[in-house]
Amino acid sequence: MPSPPDPLDPLLDRWTESTESAPNLAPEVWRRIDLIEGASRETAGFWSELDAWLSRPPFAVLFVTCCALLGLFLAEVRVNRLQREHGSELAHNYLLLIDPLLRADPAARLP
Amino acid sequence: MNRGGLVLLLGIAVGVGTHFVYFRVHEPVYTDTIDAQLSWMKGELQLSDAQFARIKELHMASNPRLRALATQVAQMEAEFAAFENTRRTTDRVDFIEFARFVETRRAISQQCLDSTRRLVLAAASEMTPSQRERYLGIVALDKQPASPLTN
Repeated sequence: MPSPPDPLDPLLDRWTESTESAPNLAPEVWRRIDLIEGASRETAGFWSELDAWLSRPPFAVLFVTCCALLGLFLAEVRVNRLQREHGSELAHNYLLLIDPLLRADPAARLP
Repeated sequence: MNRGGLVLLLGIAVGVGTHFVYFRVHEPVYTDTIDAQLSWMKGELQLSDAQFARIKELHMASNPRLRALATQVAQMEAEFAAFENTRRTTDRVDFIEFARFVETRRAISQQCLDSTRRLVLAAASEMTPSQRERYLGIVALDKQPASPLTN
C-alpha cells in the first residue's frame, strides 16, 4: 500500500537544489570587509600606535626627557631675548643718567 | 586613562614645569637705580672691582650736578612751551625775551655737554683701551641731535 505523500518532500527537494551564487560575491564581500576595517584603522591607528610606543618604559623615559629638554631650550631662548632687551634698556637708561639733555621730558622737547 | 596617555600628560607637565622653573631662576631683574645701571656696565665692560669702585665714585660725585642740570633743562622746555603757546594764541612774540631764553638755553646745554663729557672722559680714563672703545661706543649710541636752538 502506497504511503501518503509527505508535505515536506517538495520542500526538501527544493532545498537540495544548489543555487548559483553571483560570480563576484567573494571579492565583493572581502572588499566591504576591507573598507570597514580600513576606516576604523585610520581613526584609531595613530593614537593606538602612539599609545603602544609610550607604553614601553624606554620610550616613555625618552619622551619625558625630550619634553624637559624642549622646555629648557625654550626657556633659555626666552631668557636670552629678555636679557638682550634689558641690556639695551639699561644702556639707554645709562645715557639718560649721564646726559641731562636726554633726561628731559621728551614730550616737552624742543623742536 | 591608558598608560600612553598618562606618559603624554606627564611629558607635557614636565616640559612646562622645567620651562617655568628655569625661566623664573634666570629671569633678568628689572631695577632702574644708578647701582643697577652701573652693575650692568661692570658686566658689559668686564670691569675689575677696583675700576668699578672708581667709576661708581665718579658717577656718584657727578650725579647731583647732572640732576640739577636736568631740572634746569626741563624748566627751559616748559618755558619754551609757554612761548610757543603765547605765539599761537596771540600771534605775538617778545623777541627780546625769546633771545634771552635762547641764550640761557644755550648756556645750559653747553654746561650739560661739558658735564657729560667730563664724566665720560673721567670714566674712560679708568678703563683699558678695549673697555674704553666699547664704552665710548655705548655712550655714542642713541644720541639725539641737539636742538637747533642750542646750536
